[in-house]
Amino acid sequence: MRVLLVEDDTILGAAVRDQISADGHSVDWAQRLDEADLQLRSASFDLILLDLMLPDGKGIPFLQRLRGRGEVTPVIILTALDQISDRIEGLNAGADDYLVKPFNLSELTARLNAVARRYAGNPNPMMQIGDLALDLANRLILKAGKKITLTAREWVLFETFAQHPGQLFSKPQLEDRLYSFDAEVGSNTIEVHISRLRKKLGSTAISTERGLGYRLGTG
Amino acid sequence: MKYPRSLQTRLSLILGLGIAIVWTVATLSTSLTITKEMNQVFDSALQETARRILPLAMQEISGRESENTEFTLEGVPPSEEALTYIVRDNRGRVPLRSRDAPLGIFPPVATPGFSNTPTHRLYTETNARGTLSILIADPLSHRQDATHEAFIALISPLAFLLPASVLGVWLIVRFSFRPLRGFQSDIESRGGGDLSPISPAKIPAEIKPVVIEVNNLMGRLARAIDSERSFTANSAHELRTPIAAALAQTQRLIAESTTPNTRQRALQIETALRRLASLSEKLMQLAKSEGAGLIATQKTDLVPVLALVIEDFERLGHAAGRVVTHLPNGAVMANIDPNAFAILLRNLIENGLKHGDPEKPVEVYFSTKAELRVVSPGPAINPETLKTLTRPFVRGDTLASGTGLGLAIVKSIAIGSGGSITLHAPMRNGTLGLEVVVALT
Repeated sequence: MRVLLVEDDTILGAAVRDQISADGHSVDWAQRLDEADLQLRSASFDLILLDLMLPDGKGIPFLQRLRGRGEVTPVIILTALDQISDRIEGLNAGADDYLVKPFNLSELTARLNAVARRYAGNPNPMMQIGDLALDLANRLILKAGKKITLTAREWVLFETFAQHPGQLFSKPQLEDRLYSFDAEVGSNTIEVHISRLRKKLGSTAISTERGLGYRLGTG
Repeated sequence: MKYPRSLQTRLSLILGLGIAIVWTVATLSTSLTITKEMNQVFDSALQETARRILPLAMQEISGRESENTEFTLEGVPPSEEALTYIVRDNRGRVPLRSRDAPLGIFPPVATPGFSNTPTHRLYTETNARGTLSILIADPLSHRQDATHEAFIALISPLAFLLPASVLGVWLIVRFSFRPLRGFQSDIESRGGGDLSPISPAKIPAEIKPVVIEVNNLMGRLARAIDSERSFTANSAHELRTPIAAALAQTQRLIAESTTPNTRQRALQIETALRRLASLSEKLMQLAKSEGAGLIATQKTDLVPVLALVIEDFERLGHAAGRVVTHLPNGAVMANIDPNAFAILLRNLIENGLKHGDPEKPVEVYFSTKAELRVVSPGPAINPETLKTLTRPFVRGDTLASGTGLGLAIVKSIAIGSGGSITLHAPMRNGTLGLEVVVALT
């Protein structure tokens, strides 16, 4: 999943960025609204984490502008506990969820995944694909009842396929989900991850469409 | 006598009293003038009568055979006459007098012209030769009766006119004060947080400067409250962000640390930061609860706010499922600021969760009359402790962690927003626990 983080505080922003990266997602970080706008116009994101007080304006009018121009990317707003009116306003303006500062990073991960699942059309965190049983909320995967350990990036990659069964993903699309703008990505990185996933989950877990990309296999 | 404070009563009284005095003085002065004029008319009639009768009397007397006999005028029929007269010759004899004229009322010597006796007004006229004089008398009682009747006729309408004038004055004053009463009810009916300007359209010119000044004052107050709100919100943000940053970095440190010692220390920092976050949050809430801005400019529906606060608790692992709500069908409109209401509710629920029985739910009742009840079954609270629970930094006999600010914040917000708070221990439908009732407006 590719996440746009809009937060002006460098220390908080860095911790959030690291948490999202550690969860295996790619994250781009904007510290101003105009910067965020620029990034949104030049790339597609799967989720926006939006602080409500930025140096060049407030988050809610920015969100209203986004929704006004048809931007449907899920948005999680970061709000203060005692400003419930901001939260109501934010949800009315088109936010999908909110996080109350100061928040636990584990809660951030949970919210992020919940919103992503909702947008994938499958809010149920439990899935069964062939002999694979997935618990998306707890990042658990069992193959024939046996727990399989995946790295964060492997998990995000497989989750992408699992949440969009049948959908074909090109290599650049998958790279976008795993790495941010400025990350250096090796030419065969995706192939390496796919190969490792097949080793752990079975050779039919992901199928290859030659020259086009990859899609979820039969498990 | 106590001087009335109401301008309307004061004006009605002064004007009513003034009109009554003017009416009375005018009536008295008119009656005096009328009495004087009536006396002149009576005198004139007396003189005229004497002058008419004297030639007739002379003719009558000269045509008589006997000189010593007193006679009345021939051919004049008897009547209830007010006027009586005698004709006296220069030797003091009375050859002629009116019917039944009592001689005693006429003085033995009379000077020509008008004169008074204790009972009569007299007029004396003598003929040209000085041989005969006519004395004509008008009873003073006759004049007094006439004057009295005139006075009564003049004064009797006052019995109606005076109360009617006072009532008229009162009605006019009341009518004139209508714009002022509108102004008064406009100010009285608006909520404490309504600082919108008053329309000076129907206000009388004399009061308009006051309204303009009140509007200016409310404008300044609204700007001061706005800046205070924005200051509180900004300082909250300024304080909250570094705490959130420190907490997030500490959690990253915990996640990334490989040595148990470092991890242990990071966990302790995390705990301390959580305490700091909680205490600073409470202090900000206390500051907000004691400041302005607890009343919204217009009524808002509090049910969505309540739902969001409950959702916050549901997201907390330890509180999930422990808060049970009983909500009315439809909206609950109240004047309280939604953020202040959220703080109030959050503190009530936190209080119930912390100090109530962990096996039993905290129940939240909300009625359409904006009465909020939070019932938490738990240990007994003695009456002395109950009295002190709403004071800042006072905690009950408990080992549970807390800042001792929760119920103080609740009370401050409830009172500051125009509502009230009542604590029941034990709760009304039980033998233990605490029930807090907040009536909002």
